[in-house]
Amino acid sequence: MTATGVGVAILGSGGIAREHAAALARLPGVEVRYVVGGDLARSRGVAALAPGAVATTDLERALADPAVQGVDVCGVTPLHAPLTIRAARAGKHVHVEKPAALSMAGLHEMIAEVRARRLTLMTGQTVRFQPGVAALHRAVAAGEIGAVHLLRVGWYTGYVWAGGWRGWQLDPARSGGHPVHNGTHAFDLLVWLMRDRRPTRVFVRSFRTLSPDVPVPDSFHATVRFDDGSLALVELSYALRERGASLRRVLAVGDRGTLRHEDDGDSGLHSEAARAPSASVDGAIGAQMAHWAAVLRGETEPITTPRQMCLTLATALAAQRSLVTGRAVDVPEAADVR
Amino acid sequence: MSAERLRVLFLSGVRHAGSYLPMLRADPRVEIVGVAEDPGAAGRALSDTRALAASAGVPFLGCPGDLAEIEADLVVVCSEPVRHARLAERALAAGRHVLVDKPFAVSLAEATSLRSAADRAPGSLSVVNLLRGPAIRRAREWVDAGHIGLPRHVDVEFLSNGAMFASNVERPELVVDPALAGGGELLNFLVYPVDYIRHLTGCEPVEVYAETATLFFEPHRRFGVEDTAVLSLLLTNGVTATVTVGRVPYAPAQTPTFFTARVLGSHGHLTVDEDRPALDRFGPGGLERWPLDGAAASEGVRLFLGTLVGDLLAGQAPGYGPADGWATVAVVDAAYRSAASGQPEPVAPGAGGR
Repeated sequence: MTATGVGVAILGSGGIAREHAAALARLPGVEVRYVVGGDLARSRGVAALAPGAVATTDLERALADPAVQGVDVCGVTPLHAPLTIRAARAGKHVHVEKPAALSMAGLHEMIAEVRARRLTLMTGQTVRFQPGVAALHRAVAAGEIGAVHLLRVGWYTGYVWAGGWRGWQLDPARSGGHPVHNGTHAFDLLVWLMRDRRPTRVFVRSFRTLSPDVPVPDSFHATVRFDDGSLALVELSYALRERGASLRRVLAVGDRGTLRHEDDGDSGLHSEAARAPSASVDGAIGAQMAHWAAVLRGETEPITTPRQMCLTLATALAAQRSLVTGRAVDVPEAADVR
Repeated sequence: MSAERLRVLFLSGVRHAGSYLPMLRADPRVEIVGVAEDPGAAGRALSDTRALAASAGVPFLGCPGDLAEIEADLVVVCSEPVRHARLAERALAAGRHVLVDKPFAVSLAEATSLRSAADRAPGSLSVVNLLRGPAIRRAREWVDAGHIGLPRHVDVEFLSNGAMFASNVERPELVVDPALAGGGELLNFLVYPVDYIRHLTGCEPVEVYAETATLFFEPHRRFGVEDTAVLSLLLTNGVTATVTVGRVPYAPAQTPTFFTARVLGSHGHLTVDEDRPALDRFGPGGLERWPLDGAAASEGVRLFLGTLVGDLLAGQAPGYGPADGWATVAVVDAAYRSAASGQPEPVAPGAGGR
C-alpha cells in the first residue's frame, strides 16, 4: 500500500459485496486485500472483481493485517453487529451495510466500540449518494426552502430481491422485516432531510402483491411524526409489474418553498436490447465507496453520524412492530445517542 | 320543474358561491332566480350573501322563513360549513333538489341526519365534488377497463397553495375558525382525496390512521386547527391508501389547489397529475405551465355542475348522492378520532349505496 493509499477487507460474498468490490476496485489508491466469506468459491468470485484481492475464510488473517485500515461488513444482517465489533476491536474503521444492526443494543455496542478506539463507523445508506437525493439534500442544507416540515417519499419499483425466494431476506428474524431491511433507506432519508429531528411515532400498513403467503410483504407505507410535530409519509413498493420499472416521487415542503423530485422525467434508455439505470439514481454505490475511501484517508467524516444511525434504526424497528401489531408505535427516546 | 330551464336559488352566498354562481349562470339550461339567506344568519354571512347578489346582478330575496315560497327547482347551499347540513335539510324539507357545498356536514351526526332527511325527501341531494375532472375520469376508465388488474393501493396528494391563501380565501376564518368551518384543513380538504379513492377503487374505507399538525400558518395556530395531515387508510378487500393533504406555503403547482394520484394494481399501475399534460411557456417570468385540461379544480366543478343540471332536467338522480357525501364525512370523523387517540380508528359503518 502506498503512503496515501488504503487497504480494505470485504466481509461477505453476496450481491452487495460484489457491487462494493467492483466499485472499490475502480478507486485509485484503494486496495481490496481480502474478501472473507464462508463459501470460498463465492468469495473467489467476488475477489476476482478486485485484482490482487485474496479470497479467504479466515477472518482473523484479514483483521490481523496492518495494511487493512477499513473493513466493509456486508453479508447477512444478523452478523453486522458482531463483525463490526470484532473489526473495531482489531483497530479497523468500519463500513457496515444497512441496516446497521437488528437491535438498538447491538447498534449502541457497535458505536461504543468504535468510539472507544477513535475509529469511524459508516452505514451503507446508498440512497444518500443517488444524484437526485444528493441534490435534494444539498438544497435543503443550503436553506433553499427554509425549515422542512413535511416530507413525502414514494419509491415504487418493479424488482424482486435476487434469490429472495430462498433468501434470508424473507425471514423477518434475519432481515428485520421489510421496514428494517429496505425501509432503512427511506427512514434514513427522512432523518437526514429533517436535519436530525427525532422521529417519535410511526404507523405502518402493508400489502402483498407478488405472493400472498410470504412472511415479508412486498409493499408497505409508513407515517412518521417528529419531535417538533413535523410529518412524513413513506411508501415503498416492489409491486410494479414491469421488471426494472421505477416510479419515484419525493416532496420536501419547507416554510419558504417546496422541492420535488420525480424520476419519470429522467433522461433514459428505451430499448429492447438493454435497460439502463435511471440517471437520477445511477452511480450511487461508486460515490458511496469513494466517500468511504475518503473517510479512511482522514479527509472527511462519515456521511452517516452515530445519532442518525440510531434514529434511523429505532424508527425502522418501531415500523416493523407497527406492521406486525397494526398499531401506531412510539419510537423510544432512549434509542437516541449524541 | 320548468321543462327547458332549471331554476336555481342560492341559499347563502359565502365563499365558493362566488365561483359556482357564474358557472351555473353560463349554462343556457339554467336560470338563476336569486340569492337568499337563512333567517338565523349572522351579520357577516348576511352581508356576504347580499354582496354576492349585488356583484352578480341577481335579486336578493331576503331571509324567507319558508323556502317553498320561492319558485326554484334546485337550491344551492353555499354557506359557512357549519350551516351546510341544517340549510340543506331546510331546502329538502321545502321539496327542492339540493346541492350542498363540500363538506357535506361538519360532524358524523349532522351527516347522518342529513342523509336520512334526503332519503325521506322528494328532491335529490348532491354535494360539490371534483370527480368529473378529465384526469380522474381517465384514471377511472383505465381501472374499469381492467388495465391495471385489481387495485391494491392508491396514493393521493391534495395540497393547497398557501401563497394564494389571501387571494383564494376571502376570510381566513372561514377555513380556520371551527365556529365557522367546523374544523381545520382535514375537514376542508380530505373529502376530495376520499372521493378520489372511493371513485377509483370502488372500495369503502374501514380504518383510518391520521397524523395532523399545524406546521406553517399563524391563523391555523391561532384557532388551534391543523394545516397539514398524512393518512393511512384500509379499505374493503384489503386495499390500502395513503393521503398527503393540507395547505402548504408553496404547493408544487401553479394553481390554488392541485392533486396527484398513483394507483398500484395487480397487473399495472397508473398515475394522475392534474398539471399534466401541459404546455410549458418559458419567458421573462420564468416557467408558466398551462395544463391541457385547464385549471383542474374549477374545470372539475364546472363539469360536475353541468352534469348535475343535465341529470336534474332529465329527471335522474345525481350520480353523486348523499351516501357519497356521508362516506366522506365518516372518514373525516375517523381521521379526527385517530389524530386524537394516536391510533388507527374504525370508520363508522354505513357507507355504500353507490
